[in-house]
Amino acid sequence: MTDALRIDRVIDAPPDVVFEAFTADDGRLAFYGQDDPGWIVESDGDLRVGGLWTVTFGPSPDQLYRHRHVFQVIDPPRQLVLATTERRPDGFSFDFAIEFRFEPQDDRTRMTMTQTGFPTAELRAEHGRGVPNGMDRLERAIRARK
Amino acid sequence: MHHNQTLDRTFFALSDSTRRSILERLGGGPATIGELAEPFGLTLNGVKKHVGILEEVDLVVTAKVGRARECRLGPGQLEDATGWIDAYRRTWERRLDRFGAYVEQRR
Repeated sequence: MTDALRIDRVIDAPPDVVFEAFTADDGRLAFYGQDDPGWIVESDGDLRVGGLWTVTFGPSPDQLYRHRHVFQVIDPPRQLVLATTERRPDGFSFDFAIEFRFEPQDDRTRMTMTQTGFPTAELRAEHGRGVPNGMDRLERAIRARK
Repeated sequence: MHHNQTLDRTFFALSDSTRRSILERLGGGPATIGELAEPFGLTLNGVKKHVGILEEVDLVVTAKVGRARECRLGPGQLEDATGWIDAYRRTWERRLDRFGAYVEQRR
């Protein structure tokens, strides 16, 4: 799918180093951590296809988010595919798929995260295509009435 | 809780291309159920069903005008929905930033 949420970063390390860091406990904690005082992050993963990786994180014990990932594809050092359920502190939950790609770029790595299937995928597609820009015009129409 | 239930229903309402087209059409001004049905090749009941879903989350309001039912854009939660998407994207961007910084520091 091309109508997904896609974010990439170039990291100054080769793909095998980046892949290894991301699949190790400390790398996963770095991914979900925050500098805020009191930030909670717990991660427990079983790195095999069909294995479960759960992450609990949030600003306080009564505001915890939970990601339940199931590894679908593990192809070191190139690709990881996860089937994920996000549960938010108020109980709202939704499923989506995440693909991480680790591609060499000179001596560095372009790490690309692609999410598909989250509740806004279609809405994002509508924005991304820009044609017919329906939502943008609609937003303007709503703003103009305020 | 209420807020997210509304978001959930708003996203559902927006997940259908016909309903987005109806909103787009109403962005240009009010229309009756019959006027909405024609360009989309839908039955009156089909349009009523879509309009009903949009009406539940206040993206559309309807009122009886003579024998017809007129639809117009409502005070709905579209800005909440787009704001949610932007915040969601920023959260994942920060995660990649933090992870990248961690790997680079470790070398």
